Amino acid sequence: MKNLDIFLYEWKHFVRSPFKMVALLLFVLAAVYGLHNGASLYEKQKAEIEKINQKAEAQIEKMITHYDKGEKSPEGRPWVNFTTPFWAIWNLPTYHFKAPSPALVYSIGQAEQYGFYKQISVWASAYDADMAEEIANPERLQTGTLDFAFVLLFLLPLLLLILTYNLKSAETEQGFLALIEVQTASKNTWLLSRMAFYIGLVLLFTFALILYGAMLTHVFEASSNAFGQMLFYSFLYLIFWAVLYYFILQKGKSILGNTLQMVGLWLLLTFVIPAVVHQYVSISQPINLMTDLIDVQRDGREKLFAQPDSVIDNQIFALFPEIKGSKLANDSTERVRLRNFSASALANNMLKEATTPIIAENKAKNALIKQSYWFNPLTFFQNQLNAVAQTHFQDYQNYRNDIERLVDKRIKIMVLDMWNDEKVDKDKFLTYHKKLKS
Amino acid sequence: MFQIIKNEWLYYSRTRLFLGISAGFILVLLFSIFLGSYQTQIQTENYQTAQKHLREQWESIKEMNPHGAAHYGTYVFKPANLLSSLDEGVNSITGNVLRVEGHVQNEIVHSEASQMQTISKFGKLKSSLLLQFIVPILLIFLAFSSISNEKQSGRLKLLLLQGTSPLQLIFAKTLSVWLYGLALLCTTILVYTLLNIQNINSEIMSRAGLFLLTYSFYYFVISGLTVFFSARWQNPTLALTSMLGVWILWTIFLPHILMSSVEKWHELPSRNEFKVAMKEDRSKGVDGHNPSDERKKEFEQKVLKEYGVDSLSQLPINFDGLVMQADEEYGNMVWDKHFGNLRVVLSEQKQSYQLGGILNPFISLQNASMGFAASDNLHHQDFLVQVENYRRDFIKMLNDKHAFGGSKTGDWSWKAGNEFFKSVPDFEYKPTSLATVLSNYFLDFFILGFWVVFVLMLLILGTKKMQVL
Repeated sequence: MKNLDIFLYEWKHFVRSPFKMVALLLFVLAAVYGLHNGASLYEKQKAEIEKINQKAEAQIEKMITHYDKGEKSPEGRPWVNFTTPFWAIWNLPTYHFKAPSPALVYSIGQAEQYGFYKQISVWASAYDADMAEEIANPERLQTGTLDFAFVLLFLLPLLLLILTYNLKSAETEQGFLALIEVQTASKNTWLLSRMAFYIGLVLLFTFALILYGAMLTHVFEASSNAFGQMLFYSFLYLIFWAVLYYFILQKGKSILGNTLQMVGLWLLLTFVIPAVVHQYVSISQPINLMTDLIDVQRDGREKLFAQPDSVIDNQIFALFPEIKGSKLANDSTERVRLRNFSASALANNMLKEATTPIIAENKAKNALIKQSYWFNPLTFFQNQLNAVAQTHFQDYQNYRNDIERLVDKRIKIMVLDMWNDEKVDKDKFLTYHKKLKS
Repeated sequence: MFQIIKNEWLYYSRTRLFLGISAGFILVLLFSIFLGSYQTQIQTENYQTAQKHLREQWESIKEMNPHGAAHYGTYVFKPANLLSSLDEGVNSITGNVLRVEGHVQNEIVHSEASQMQTISKFGKLKSSLLLQFIVPILLIFLAFSSISNEKQSGRLKLLLLQGTSPLQLIFAKTLSVWLYGLALLCTTILVYTLLNIQNINSEIMSRAGLFLLTYSFYYFVISGLTVFFSARWQNPTLALTSMLGVWILWTIFLPHILMSSVEKWHELPSRNEFKVAMKEDRSKGVDGHNPSDERKKEFEQKVLKEYGVDSLSQLPINFDGLVMQADEEYGNMVWDKHFGNLRVVLSEQKQSYQLGGILNPFISLQNASMGFAASDNLHHQDFLVQVENYRRDFIKMLNDKHAFGGSKTGDWSWKAGNEFFKSVPDFEYKPTSLATVLSNYFLDFFILGFWVVFVLMLLILGTKKMQVL
């Protein structure tokens, strides 16, 4: 019997099995629902970013009006002076966004666990309270959103199980396996061909679904890689399960026995092993309550300002050696103001020192999780899909790093210009705006 | 009927596969309870260390201006809960650290989920994971062929000839399977109690009892429905696949779909919208730091009149403390309005989701399980409200000290002594009362009860159409 014949017989078998047809239909419906959930979050985040940008632009327009009118201060706040670098930068709204990738349509990942916009100021930190997730129902977050990745990781193996659970064992139970063996060169090849039919069928539908998702958020316009990678991991994941099921079907002799083993394997790989790893990581690397960071944010700052002026000055000079030769370096009348306004640089430095062990701790946790990949394939695939969709932990760590970089940059420009007694006009303000954005 | 149940259990005890699976499963279950309790112990220690550290810092303030102390503030950590070793609920998703300070009600931050990459979509290896997802599968595998096997082997006819009624047989088969689930449940609660015997109190025992009751309802639904399919379908494989289909629909599909839907039906504001709205409302109030505020002037006149003096310098107290407290109270109204609205929406979402139990009893089980294990959103919100109430008392004490502690208006250099800071009480979490929990989860209980009755009716009516051969 040729492979094509086996394929054709299998097709007939499939279309005559309402149970299998319904399972496939449910899979497709769930996947479409999941893709729309991803697309909806993508659109929502984009709209929110647009709103914030508009608000920031309006604030910038207001500042430009002040410059155009020659106003140095807003009404009722005479101590403010927009022509100084400190107040100009203080009043310059700069936001940094974790812009959603169009590939978010495939995997929401950790996108709902972190904030995606942050106002940058000289006192900001990547661990501020506004870096927490969007307002959401914690029970919904705990249940998780049904996205395409969820359908792929949890339902695809189930679909394959439903499509293949009775391959060979049905013939064995009905007593005509020997007949089939006579008609085909090898029963393994026959079983493999039948499996290949279902792999092809599922792959075809998965490809169509990934393509549909790409059209929802224009994945190709942003990055064709995401589509290819998504397809690659889906194929790999499908093959992974197909191989496992093939061996069960090849060795198994009864439908019931095969079903039991396949369901057991599915439960083990999708529920039990990830849960055990999760529990183990939580015990060996317990949650960080951030007391070190709190100490720096509170007592650290108190101690910083309690130091003698000369010590603070030396710390500022050590941080920015360039200002030793600046215009106002030897101006004692300006020293108090400059010292106070430059203090954020020292606080920022302390914060960075405090966050370094936190980052290292998170890295260690992630390394521990990665070590489990060889026996915990679900977590491996989940994180690969998150990485494709740019909703992985590392993407948010990069976002935090970017925030730190922008805060550093802001502080440096502010301090250097302050000590060099730069005057800020409209053009200089717009230059700040351009420079501090990215 | 008792004889049939006895025979069924005798059969189970003679089946090697069943014994092997049961032994393995019980081991995993025991392991999960042990790990859960161990994790709670570690969390509690960390929480206590952090809380003690922060308290020591507060008590070591030698002298500080009370308003400076309000900005210095303190932090509250979400305590670990003994019952969360059974069901962790939302605890790994929600934050754990809440800053308590003047002028602002902060949000809780630093969740466990935000500190690492994704591991498991269904949480850690807690008893609830096994009891909610795996035990029902075991029950399905035990029950799917219970009647159809009797039919296929011809024993059903024999049993009926011996005087057993079909209804008795079906009930006996259902109870045999259900009792297995119940035995696993009882093992879980017993081991949990033994491991935590030193910390167990009547409240925890009552909650554990309700936890057990909820699961026992659900297991009856699963066992009964599977036996029903087994009685109705001639082919046991069909009974198994039907029930597996139900399981997938109930545990994988519907909870996700319904939860996502209720969030769309009752929409929460975005963080940005929420903050902007609060800022707008807040700016209308008395601003403790803004001398041009009209409301402040009105308030000033009122206080001067009250003390019968003409200027702030003549006041025997520090007006700044009063104005800051007035500002706090205005702010509290704003927080109550906006955070109150959030809680209303969350409560509407919860109620809609609870009604989803009519379609899917698994939802009722999950809700009640988290609720009785004190790890649901209700308990989380209650914790946040308690912290906010503490913040208000905390700030009021500081503002009162600023106003009436002996300083005069405008004297920001005045400092309160160490005794005062030591006298400010620390935050103490009071667990949500069982009565509150029961009133919130009555609906889930009722729906599970409805499902039990529904399955009973199915079994009674279903047996009438059962084919003996």
